[in-house]
Amino acid sequence: MSTGTRVAGQSLPRIDAPGKVTGSAVYAADFALPGMLYGKVFRSAEPHARLVRLDTTRAASIPGVRAVVTAADAADVRYGAAVKDEPVFAADVVRYVGQPVAAVAAVTLEAAEAALAAIEAQYEPLPPVLDLAAALAPGAPLVHEGWRDYTAIPILQRDGNVCNRARIVVGDVERGWVEADHVFEQRFTTAMVHQGYTEPRAAVAAWDSSGQVTVWSNTQLPFDVQATLADILATVPSKVRIIVPGVGGGFGGKLRIGVEHFAALLARKSGRPVKVMTTSEEELVAAYPRQGTVIELKTGVTRDGRLTARQGRIYFDTGAFAGSGPGVASVATMVLAGPYRTPNLHLEGYAVYTNKTNCGSYRAPSGPQSNFAVESQMDIIADALGIDPLELRLRNIVHEGDEGPTGQVLSAVGLEECLRRAADAIGWPDRRPAPGRGKGLAIGWWTTTGGSSGVYVKINPDGSVTLNTGAVEIGTAALTGAAQVLAEALGVDLADITVISGDTFSTPFDFGAQGSRTAFAVGNACRAAAAELQRKLFELAAAHLKTDADTLELRDKHVVGPGGRVTLAELARQSQVAGGGMIAHGTFIAPGTAYDTKRVEGHAYPAFHSPSFHAHAVDLSVDAETGEVTIHRYVVAQDVGFALNPTYIEGQIEGGVAQGLGQTLSEEIVYRDGRVLNANLTDYKMPTTLDVPRIESILVEHPGRVGPFGAKGVGEPPNIEPPAAVANAIAAAVGTRITALPITAERIVRGLSRDEGDGGR
Amino acid sequence: MAKIPITLTINGEPHEALVEPDRTLLDVLRTDLGLTGTKTNCLDAECGVCTVLVDGLAVNACLYLAVVAQGRAITTIEGLASPGEGLAPAGALHPLQEAFVEHGAVQCGYCIPGMILSAKAYLDDHPRPTEAQVREALAGNLCRCTGYQKIVDAVLAAASRMAGGAVAS
Amino acid sequence: MSRFDYHQPESLADAVDLAARFGGQASFLAGGTDLIVQIERGRVAPRHVIGLGRVPGLAGIEVNGRIALGARVTHRAIEQTPALAGPLRCLVEGAEVIGGHQVRNVATIGGNLVNASPAADLVPCLLALDGVVTLVGPGGEREIPIERFLLGPNRTARRPDELVTRVDLPALPPRAATAFLKAGRRRAMEISVVCVAARLALDATLERCLEARVVLGAVAPTAVRAHAAERLLEGQPVGGEAFRRAAEAAQEACRPIDDVRASAGFRQHLVGVLVRRALDRCVERARRAA
Repeated sequence: MSTGTRVAGQSLPRIDAPGKVTGSAVYAADFALPGMLYGKVFRSAEPHARLVRLDTTRAASIPGVRAVVTAADAADVRYGAAVKDEPVFAADVVRYVGQPVAAVAAVTLEAAEAALAAIEAQYEPLPPVLDLAAALAPGAPLVHEGWRDYTAIPILQRDGNVCNRARIVVGDVERGWVEADHVFEQRFTTAMVHQGYTEPRAAVAAWDSSGQVTVWSNTQLPFDVQATLADILATVPSKVRIIVPGVGGGFGGKLRIGVEHFAALLARKSGRPVKVMTTSEEELVAAYPRQGTVIELKTGVTRDGRLTARQGRIYFDTGAFAGSGPGVASVATMVLAGPYRTPNLHLEGYAVYTNKTNCGSYRAPSGPQSNFAVESQMDIIADALGIDPLELRLRNIVHEGDEGPTGQVLSAVGLEECLRRAADAIGWPDRRPAPGRGKGLAIGWWTTTGGSSGVYVKINPDGSVTLNTGAVEIGTAALTGAAQVLAEALGVDLADITVISGDTFSTPFDFGAQGSRTAFAVGNACRAAAAELQRKLFELAAAHLKTDADTLELRDKHVVGPGGRVTLAELARQSQVAGGGMIAHGTFIAPGTAYDTKRVEGHAYPAFHSPSFHAHAVDLSVDAETGEVTIHRYVVAQDVGFALNPTYIEGQIEGGVAQGLGQTLSEEIVYRDGRVLNANLTDYKMPTTLDVPRIESILVEHPGRVGPFGAKGVGEPPNIEPPAAVANAIAAAVGTRITALPITAERIVRGLSRDEGDGGR
Repeated sequence: MAKIPITLTINGEPHEALVEPDRTLLDVLRTDLGLTGTKTNCLDAECGVCTVLVDGLAVNACLYLAVVAQGRAITTIEGLASPGEGLAPAGALHPLQEAFVEHGAVQCGYCIPGMILSAKAYLDDHPRPTEAQVREALAGNLCRCTGYQKIVDAVLAAASRMAGGAVAS
Repeated sequence: MSRFDYHQPESLADAVDLAARFGGQASFLAGGTDLIVQIERGRVAPRHVIGLGRVPGLAGIEVNGRIALGARVTHRAIEQTPALAGPLRCLVEGAEVIGGHQVRNVATIGGNLVNASPAADLVPCLLALDGVVTLVGPGGEREIPIERFLLGPNRTARRPDELVTRVDLPALPPRAATAFLKAGRRRAMEISVVCVAARLALDATLERCLEARVVLGAVAPTAVRAHAAERLLEGQPVGGEAFRRAAEAAQEACRPIDDVRASAGFRQHLVGVLVRRALDRCVERARRAA
């Protein structure tokens, strides 16, 4: 797959594997300090209420309890990525069942739990806003009476229970309806789902005598948590040190502050280190899950299947605090447009407050929901017009040089190749190979999130190389990929590189493990550092080899010149003795992507950077009597730009599809009257080994202009297309179109009997 | 009730602990004995990250009382690789550990100790499994990162190596 | 401070004595996969836990026409006993679907019976095999057919001072076969949305049903025999019409609830499908064995 590269592009084993297979790798959940206390959080029992009384005196006197904290112990600040609306602890109003109200630290977990049981809270219920319809109804109760006074990103369009309305307008959809021969309107719904990482969120906090707190945590964004925590502690970020020992999966659920503030406040009050870790129940009640949505999609087409206009509205139930909702609502409009040429667009994403847990970012936020609507409707259109679904897509997909929905110019567009290869691999056009069996396609596009990354790279006198990065390894092997880029640039082996990461004190800034950006951005920062190291190495070597710097090259752990060569180790030794050491700082930030600002409003994400393109194809059977779905084959073709490490990219595809299938077929956080009914892993049903088919990955390479060797972000996309691909295959298999996620057996059986009642379709 | 003195034989070594009878094996391993290779998550026998072997059988340590483990041979992930000889820091990895590394079966790694031990227990009894059998054996170990595919491939490869020949899949 | 005192009796008599002494304050501990979960979640709070690990004579499996299963027989042991793989196969099928192997390695049939979850998988199989439970208490031994042993969700006829010691299954009639089917939202680690255990004994022509058992799980407060369905099968030619009517009768016999796993209506629908399929499978197996 890779030609001309020695290390980058090879399927090398990840550098942190040995620690992980021997159990010696330490995760935040494993971390402990001597004398540590255990912290637990007391949470609201009401979805919307005035907190009229909170009495912690009994709790404080339980044997073993060393600290109790409430709103009085934290600075009176609100935090939040887009809207600063969230307090550490509720003080006067609680807005969701599970909202933190107080926290305790004790010598044992049992004592902490006994203390929780001894806290007395009295609530005066307020009318709860239980779902999107309730939140958007005229005269609806406000989840945030004081919403106007919150600090928010200036571009947001906020109004009452709507914490953002993002919009893309292109051309005039009214004209598009006129030009269309047919107009299709469908409504789709999706459920709230959890990232399902197997390691709970955890933090250990310890204060030192200078007023600095160190927090060991499994956050994906140490610098973001550092800043938020500094505000909460009413101090400056340099007094807050976040260290990430290891992360057991994140998928976006560990981006924002989770338990670090409770640990820090309890440690400050008790004078002892404190560990706080979430339970499975807390994860399913009070974390940062993927928003449930309602999508209304209206699309106009000519009789030969050309898209003339699309109007879409997607409503995100983002819960009691805005969280990632406003940004997610923006990204959604890009996904609703799809990678299609559509001259007229009117696309809106709404982030809406309700009295449920505040939702966040989960792998390709807004992607699966929006794509479910778009790609399902494409098949509905294809079937209605009598056009093959593959052909319909081929007639409308974007190509090199086309515009995206906000006017960005698309380059390195590998979409057609992905679509054709995926369809081919699944045996298209034989869509219905047997009774009860069908095949489905879905395509999409996604971004590689920007943000800056810095690295220090040091060559050591023993010839090894140290990569010091503020990024965090969350499991994708992104840091192995970045190290491969570095090894390639320096002419060394991957085995020569040691990675130090994730410490706000001693590693350079990194925007964080989000948006599929880490290998891309850290890899490029490594290239910058390598270029500077090369300059320094050549300067030294030129003197040593008595030649000019421009006659030198890096090869095989040496600097090689016309008359001789010298090892990197020797040059590093010389530099250490006489020059302070062979070290360089490399930085990277992706250049902005130009777009037409007039097309967007309230939009936090108006362009997809170094976009990736992908196609999924699935072949499955449906047992029409039980509704059970059996997947025979699942194929993904993904334009990755350049495959930095094919094995781990396959790993992202296989894992992303498995996670996507969970969202498609079995997972949902079920609320009734503002309470979660299934806050446990018995009834929050993630796929097991018996539920996930083998997945065939086709890595397509249309190198982009920005990423290392042309690489694009790869981690999020595989999560996007499974719901639509499966829904399309089910429709092909048994004729029933399911427009709600998850597509449970019960929904399929009900759909079938409904269709039968309609005389079949 | 007063704490009960127990001796747990872990990876062949005796470990003494003084435990209340309601403490789980998982908690004693991680908190009292500092063996954090066995992981904690759901505490409900739903996810399998706490899997250890007791007399060669895979069990969820989160629901296994430490006092019941007395007198039994417990294997944790820390016991799989052989210890280093002489000045070497580490010895040989178990074929399962090697295969997991080679096949890209490790991503975040949190499920991996439990996954490897479940696989080991199965292979020790069924040296030549099919893919379907491997999947059944690992059905009680959730992984959220990998989609299981490379884990299954690694187990089949390890089985081959351990059985000294190709294993049909 | 431990939540409970722990006892490790080394004989059946001692175990019973402890139960007599502590009564409703005590729970027996076998595999722990139900009890420890319930203690951790605060659903039960026994002051005494009586571990059965050292009590001899509770873990045996005897097969000689009749089957005797000790209460501490694990699901794994059932899976691995060849003698149970033939006509008694539903027992293996019910055992092999619960949890992962970590649970099956320690979870026992006694524990499963006493826990009496309405959705238990093994219980319908034991009921379809006319299982009889033996209990030992201070007053001696008594036997109760499983149908009368199950009283409601997590409630049985066991008195607090009694220990379940074994389950006896009478010998199967000739030309009998069994099957167990389950429906859920995923293929492993699943609490049944509906499960069905069926048993048919065929006549010498293998065309007619002589005797039937149809047991439904997860659709009533306990596992239930669909007696009306069974009566509709006895003496009838197998397949087709008789199976369809039996499936309908089974649907009428169930009292499912709406819960987060499924609606009552869907459960009822699945009962019809699974009963018919389980009966078909019994016929297939009886004919193949003959």
